[in-house]
Amino acid sequence: MVKKISNNDFSEAKNSGFAVVDFSATWCGPCRMLAPVMDDVSEELNGKVDFFNVDVDENSELAAEFGVQSIPALIVLKNGKKVDETVGFQPKPGIMKFLNRNM
Amino acid sequence: MERYDIAIIGTGPAGLSAAITAKIRNKKIILIGSSELSTRIQKAHTIQNYLGLPAVSGEDMKKAFCAHLDAMDIKITEGRANAVYAMGSYFSIQSGEQIYEADSVILATGIVTGKPYPGENELLGRGVSYCATCDAPLYKNKTAAVIASSPQEEAEADFLAEIAARVLYFPLYKDDVHVSGKVQVINEIPEAVTGSGKVEQLKTKNGSYAVDGVFILRESVAPGQLVPGVQVEDNNVQVNRLMETNIPGCFACGDIVGKPYQYIKAAGEGNIAALSAVNYLDRKKRGNENA
Repeated sequence: MVKKISNNDFSEAKNSGFAVVDFSATWCGPCRMLAPVMDDVSEELNGKVDFFNVDVDENSELAAEFGVQSIPALIVLKNGKKVDETVGFQPKPGIMKFLNRNM
Repeated sequence: MERYDIAIIGTGPAGLSAAITAKIRNKKIILIGSSELSTRIQKAHTIQNYLGLPAVSGEDMKKAFCAHLDAMDIKITEGRANAVYAMGSYFSIQSGEQIYEADSVILATGIVTGKPYPGENELLGRGVSYCATCDAPLYKNKTAAVIASSPQEEAEADFLAEIAARVLYFPLYKDDVHVSGKVQVINEIPEAVTGSGKVEQLKTKNGSYAVDGVFILRESVAPGQLVPGVQVEDNNVQVNRLMETNIPGCFACGDIVGKPYQYIKAAGEGNIAALSAVNYLDRKKRGNENA
């Protein structure tokens, strides 16, 4: 499951040992395409990785804090620290590869 | 949404040949491209080695191709595909404002000319973008540059200007530029995108401009951007003899897979790609029935 973040409240993601945050927006085509892929990936990695989604319009402070300049952007956090990021749509195998290299 | 068996992208010899074979095999196809087919064909003086059409002019070859499509009742869906998304069990194809869905895809968009600018790949997603309508809202109160390869991109610059504080427009074409008064046109040749960690400057032959982002809008999208996740080497999509890419259900043929750039080779590859796609669909269907 991918949890939606609202009101710039990032505490749950920061407290997670391994979190993946998908920065996206409703007006962004590739973001809409990536959403079902992320749902699928989150099911597969259920219990191992915490998944979050940040709408950059509703949480502009977070987007600024992480320097998001292009979306969709996936940011990997370990114990609240950003360790990796990738930008743009990728099919599931690409996302899995990106996450595996951080596991 | 309507689901096609095969989406064929590109209307050069590879795409047309794929469409004809897929149609013969009774597949539900969508052929996306230009009803003018390929400008490269029209401009060709004479082609001497196309089987059955000796010393044919580009213009006559186009007519022969169009007649073949008409005879088989194949229609071209006018458009330029911006992105092909591999969704897992199907593909989502974005062409302008339209979205199409298909179980398999054949890429036949031809060669891509133009190398990336220094800094372009490094700063992609860190200020470098290929889609103004996608990323414009991130440039609220910021300065963005647009590098445009054709007048088609003027609308994108205008759209961006409604949101960004400042838009600098670098046309790479000779035609007159028609953009809104909020867009500043600069007739200089861009050379590099620079910045540490994120875009800071666009350098031209004459100087440099402080910007927060650079939108690079080219006529043909590089294959790796067209199909995120597809394996590409030297701007050629990597395929095997069956024209299969690394993404199951995604095939490529013609100039996009590499040299030699020959019409008859492209047409032959289109035929293989279509048969491989048909085979893939059959296997997929059997898999679903067994499941």
